Amino acid sequence: MSYVSVSLPQLALSLGLMAMAIAISSRNHLGLERDLLVGTVRSAVQLFAVGLVLTFVFQHEQPLLVLGVISVMVVVGGWTAARRIAHGPGSGVLFRYATLTVFVSGVLVLTPVFAFVIRPARWYEARLLIPISGMILSNAMNGVALVFERVFASIHDDAAAVEQLLSLGASPRQAVDRHLRAAMNAALRPTINGLLTVGLVALPGMMTGQIVSGTAPDQAVRYQLVIMYQLVAVAAVAGALAARFARSLSFTDREQLRTFSSAGPR
Amino acid sequence: MPVALEARQLRKSFDGRVLLGGVDLRLDPGSITTVSGPSGGGKTTLLRILGQLSDADSGTILLAGADVRSISPQAARRRIAMVAQAPAMFGGTVLDNVRTGPRLAGEDLPEPVARELIVRAGLEPGFLRQDARALSGGEKLRVAVARALALHPEVWLLDEPTAALDDDRAEVLVRLLRELAGAGAAVLAVTHDARALDRLGGTHLELAGGQLLPEVTA
Repeated sequence: MSYVSVSLPQLALSLGLMAMAIAISSRNHLGLERDLLVGTVRSAVQLFAVGLVLTFVFQHEQPLLVLGVISVMVVVGGWTAARRIAHGPGSGVLFRYATLTVFVSGVLVLTPVFAFVIRPARWYEARLLIPISGMILSNAMNGVALVFERVFASIHDDAAAVEQLLSLGASPRQAVDRHLRAAMNAALRPTINGLLTVGLVALPGMMTGQIVSGTAPDQAVRYQLVIMYQLVAVAAVAGALAARFARSLSFTDREQLRTFSSAGPR
Repeated sequence: MPVALEARQLRKSFDGRVLLGGVDLRLDPGSITTVSGPSGGGKTTLLRILGQLSDADSGTILLAGADVRSISPQAARRRIAMVAQAPAMFGGTVLDNVRTGPRLAGEDLPEPVARELIVRAGLEPGFLRQDARALSGGEKLRVAVARALALHPEVWLLDEPTAALDDDRAEVLVRLLRELAGAGAAVLAVTHDARALDRLGGTHLELAGGQLLPEVTA
């Protein structure tokens, strides 16, 4: 196993790529130069910081430390998924449900894989646990964000029909069934598309990384498959959980549709 | 016979503005009640609270003598028809729409019954196969009435039911509402339509300044 190292001056050369994008933005008046500059700096700072943290964690591999890192991922994932959801309860309320969803779906999907499929020598082996958890948790986060956004927006847009269904004796479940299904479908769709086109359009990042760093392709493929199945499962679990939370948040205990906008009473 | 729907001391404020300031209302079986009043004065809010789509800040609602909070919201709403001013149509045909209420309860509404219901609501039988969302405002209103008829509600709450109808159609609807009241239902209609008020008869009330009072005729 060997990998070709990248020195800092060599890395600096790759900044030329960002300069290329900035030049195109400027030439075509896209107005993205600032975002590109900030993105260049931020990505470098964030990744170097993560690199330092990972180096530290790998050197001091303690169960609590590894769990601490994963907990941070869960909380940041929950926080990110709960932000900027229009027509929903505030992000303060959503944060709790998003975090719970990311946590539960992550545990449900990661535990069996580490217990029965990958089986690291030590269960808290940071080299495996942290990057794989990160991929799974971020897919859970995306699923939650998508479902929250879709459910609250579509119920808001369709409030008159939802209330009409309630008036005809529908339960909240019956009244928003269509909205929940569409949202869960949308949450699973990108991951399913990834499953269908994997290897045909692009090699997935983790597999590429393993191959670049010297892992035999057939092993990299097996890892990748496990990851992809995990990604599908976590999107399904997180989507279904988030949809149920969004539904219960959308109704009062007297099964009335809540309105979250600042519009007057109807 | 208990009061079909009774409201006691309903209060509702929004943004510091009192919409309902302790409203009392009795809807007896077989009665027709009309409510008018300035727009934005809380009429639709009152209907929504009576129809169990919103809660009052305080007050009690009795459905056939029982506190509505002791009844499941679904059961209560099935007994109270709500016909909005511009009713939302569900995707599909008029037949699908009329079948919705029974379907939600796991029952099947035979097509001939659905046809009979839309005719009672003032639509030709041919409408049954039409796309409900492509109908005019007045046609949608009649579908909404037929949709509610399918559940045999004890109480009817209607918001400006004649606003989207021409005179002849309005007449058909007024006749239907009188017929429903004649069969024991309690009917409450919010309306500004003076002719409909006249033809509906019953008790006229005015909601203004948060109070529901017998209308003062000049």
